[in-house]
Amino acid sequence: MVELRSVKKVYKDRTVLDVPQLRIQHGESVALTGANGSGKTTLLRILARLLRADSGTVTAPQDVLYLPQHPYAFRGTVLDNVLIGAKDRREQALALLETLELSALAAKPAQSLSGGELQKLALCRVLIRPCALLLLDEPTAALDTNGTRLVCDALARYKAQTDCTVVLSTHAPQFAAKAAERLIVLCDGRIESDGSI
Amino acid sequence: MDSIKQAFDLLFSLDKELFQILGVTLRMSFFSTSISCLVGLPLGTLIGTRQFRGKSFLKKLIHTCMGLPPVVAGLLVYMLFTHYGPFGRLNLLFTVTAMVIAQCVLIIPLVTGLTASFVESESRPIIETARGLGLSDARIILLCLSEGRASLLSVVLNAFGRSIAEVGAVSIVGGNIQWKTRVMTTAIMLETNKGKFSFALALGIVLLILAFIVNAAASWIVKERADG
Ligand SMILES: Nc1ncnc2c1ncn2[C@@H]1O[C@H](COP(=O)(O)OP(=O)(O)OP(=O)(O)O)[C@@H](O)[C@H]1O
Ligand SMILES: [Mg+2]
Repeated sequence: MVELRSVKKVYKDRTVLDVPQLRIQHGESVALTGANGSGKTTLLRILARLLRADSGTVTAPQDVLYLPQHPYAFRGTVLDNVLIGAKDRREQALALLETLELSALAAKPAQSLSGGELQKLALCRVLIRPCALLLLDEPTAALDTNGTRLVCDALARYKAQTDCTVVLSTHAPQFAAKAAERLIVLCDGRIESDGSI
Repeated sequence: MDSIKQAFDLLFSLDKELFQILGVTLRMSFFSTSISCLVGLPLGTLIGTRQFRGKSFLKKLIHTCMGLPPVVAGLLVYMLFTHYGPFGRLNLLFTVTAMVIAQCVLIIPLVTGLTASFVESESRPIIETARGLGLSDARIILLCLSEGRASLLSVVLNAFGRSIAEVGAVSIVGGNIQWKTRVMTTAIMLETNKGKFSFALALGIVLLILAFIVNAAASWIVKERADG
């Protein structure tokens, strides 16, 4: 289970996140949405333990995967990238690349990918390992309609296999509706609404 | 012009002493640079990637040490290894080992400071991505080092440059002993003091050629590996 209690994040004297109470049950899929600068990335990074809240308590599983809003392409090929820290899962890697229609690019240097291709690669790189809590920051921001559909499918398959909790952020209502069953709207760091889709 | 000709004459005369001095210089610089990098690269990466209390103080301290005058480093090591000093029994004073130690005192802060700055400015997305994948800290450090190898090569070459050009520390703890601890810089100083300016300059040119070869080789190795 994921739980936040009176969590605040302040930069200088601006409060960018202020969540008195938030609970996410095990196995739930939650979409975060809200204007630019509303605190989505901040909330995800706090859950991923990449950022420390200034006050409050955060409960989250140890076993977390986090896909940053701007993922990095490591040196080496696309396949090398998927295999980082997962050397022994070559077959799964190839299968994942296939589902996201990246097979043709497997031997290409990852640093030469287009924005959308890189985003799909970054998702493969995450989905090759199991976790208890999956955090995705705007995973389809650079994708076309087909790419978005592929991501939805890959996510659904991953969830079926691992039974994990998913928290993702997005600006696309349709993607949110397809990939999650609960929608949280952030506004200036506060939860404006929270309900099932 | 005369010096340049003399420099090449020297090199091609295969002068035994010159090559002995070159050998000591290279050996010293190799060990100073390697040890400093073995300590400074991981340490700098650690400082650059971690948030902890006293970090800004530590960084100021390192930056101060980066500007440490070589003679002061030499003096410190001299006092440690002198006959009555705490490590006097090791009998290391006036050996290449002592010169390497003194140079490490100088160069470790340099490597650490430069690496930390590089890591802070360039490796944020790398770390964010790698942490997000749940990779171990050791693995993340290795990834940062390998992703930033072009920048890090310049750190290493900076360290090597400082080592090979340094004279203050090595002359204090090395003593410029012929056939033993004499290196290019102390030899140049000696010749200058004797008034043999053009010979000193010739030695300087040989030193430059040496530095150029090492730099070219290093960038070639990194480029090869990056392409392959
Ligand atoms: N290191 C920082 N220093 C100062 N302010 C910051 C820092 N990081 C984030 N902020 C501010 O916090 C606020 C929330 O940022 P956050 O990245 O969480 O927004 P977001 O909802 O993810 O926006 P977007 O949709 O554009 O990705 C923004 O106004 C941002 O300027
Ligand atoms: Mg964001």
